[in-house]
Amino acid sequence: MGLLSVADAVAGYSIGEEILKGVDLDLASGEVVSIIGPNGAGKSTLLKVIAGLLNPSRGTVRLGEQAIQGLSPREISALGVAFVPQEQNIFPTMSVNENLEMGGYVDPKGAKAKISRILDRFAMLKEKRRNAARTLSGGQRQILAMAMALMVEPKVLLLDEPSAGLSPIAAEELFETIRDINEEGISIVMVEQNALEALAIADRGYILVDGRNHRSGPAQSLAEDPDVRRIFLGA
Amino acid sequence: MFFELAQLVVNGLVAGTILAVPAIGFTAIYGVLRFPNFAVASHATIGAFAGYVANVNFGIPAWGAVAFAFLIAGLSGVLNDEFLLKPLRPTGPLTTAIASVALVIVLENVIRFFFGNDLRGYDLPIFRDWRIAEIRIGPQQVENIIIAIIAMAILFLFLTFTRMGKAMRAVADNPMLASIKGINADMVGRLVSFVGMGLAGLGGMLIGLDTSIDPLTGFRAILPIFAAAVVGGLGSIPGAVVGALTVGVGEELSIVVLGPEYRSVFGFLAILFVLLFRPRGLLGERAY
Repeated sequence: MGLLSVADAVAGYSIGEEILKGVDLDLASGEVVSIIGPNGAGKSTLLKVIAGLLNPSRGTVRLGEQAIQGLSPREISALGVAFVPQEQNIFPTMSVNENLEMGGYVDPKGAKAKISRILDRFAMLKEKRRNAARTLSGGQRQILAMAMALMVEPKVLLLDEPSAGLSPIAAEELFETIRDINEEGISIVMVEQNALEALAIADRGYILVDGRNHRSGPAQSLAEDPDVRRIFLGA
Repeated sequence: MFFELAQLVVNGLVAGTILAVPAIGFTAIYGVLRFPNFAVASHATIGAFAGYVANVNFGIPAWGAVAFAFLIAGLSGVLNDEFLLKPLRPTGPLTTAIASVALVIVLENVIRFFFGNDLRGYDLPIFRDWRIAEIRIGPQQVENIIIAIIAMAILFLFLTFTRMGKAMRAVADNPMLASIKGINADMVGRLVSFVGMGLAGLGGMLIGLDTSIDPLTGFRAILPIFAAAVVGGLGSIPGAVVGALTVGVGEELSIVVLGPEYRSVFGFLAILFVLLFRPRGLLGERAY
């Protein structure tokens, strides 16, 4: 049994218009899994289902032995699954420090110590801890959003297109940070448009097309597969 | 002429400081619940009458009676929101805003039922106005300003240093992310209704302390309150303070040009100009 597993998930935003049409996903402890695929394939929807923001009409989501579909985002967050949305993933008028505090809202015990550990780890955030989060650059915002998720000391981190809209250098730095976070033992499910980079740091990859699993396997073999390169990587 | 203008500016600053209290309440409720709750008008009246009962019937001095004004208006705000407005929120902000206008009429008539239509005055000691270089200011006005500033300072400390206050700002800032982070939006909604309507009630009493009260006290104040919130930027608390001072001083200075009977025109004009040239308000970027 893996750490997180999704089986036959069907979900959508309105009745009769399913975006996910029966998706499976497995995440083992310590793994990075990347989900790639064309626009509208249901990649972000899958993350929202796992995070509890969208109830699947069919299928199960399990964290270890426990079924978590139907639980509220707060309950799922308290179980150790932290979701970082693609956009609007910070509180813009609040300071960096306050953003971190809100990141750990469900578990206020020891928040000060956790914030100081996170600030020691991300020098940029420490330097700007009193600044309003809206003053950060795109890359810095993504780092803050991930740092907020780390405040609940998650087992699983769900990242929705973390490199969207970033410059290549900022994206490279971000992927390095994601790798570092994983090396600390946090398992990661990442949805990405930047497929080559996403597969480069992942252990395994899933390719979704039209709400269904299209291909899956070790990230390296997916990245090297000529069909996958032609269709999804534009190579 | 100089002293006349200076007197008007001082009067405007006094009125603006008092107006800032209910304007903060209005804008805070808008920031969190995302609809203009015009029932701040009737809650200003409820606060004014609650303070009146505490002051005249129970003999509590004005500076203590304002606590009753805050508490009773705040509780009424929570109950009215929970049972009347909250069920309508899923239908959209316009429906809820219209319902809040209906609530103004209902609550105003409930007050009329119990207290009648007469003008009432608080039981206040009479003092001679102070004169500072030809400019007059009453000790009660100074006390009102001090109460308003203390209320704003407490609110600032609450929003800056408490977990609940920060959660309130987080919901105002990004409701979706706040829910992902496990902040209970219902609890924050009740809290902002209590604090917002409490401030409206406190503001209503401060307005009444300067003049007199009747069931239309809050209704007469709604235009300047709304104008202050829009001028400052709906949802922005420092904006509401800046907006209230602008409207307070603007209304007083407009007397020179338009005469006292048209002073409320300033509120309309301020809304019109801000919506035309700076729709997000003077400080719309800063929610807090």
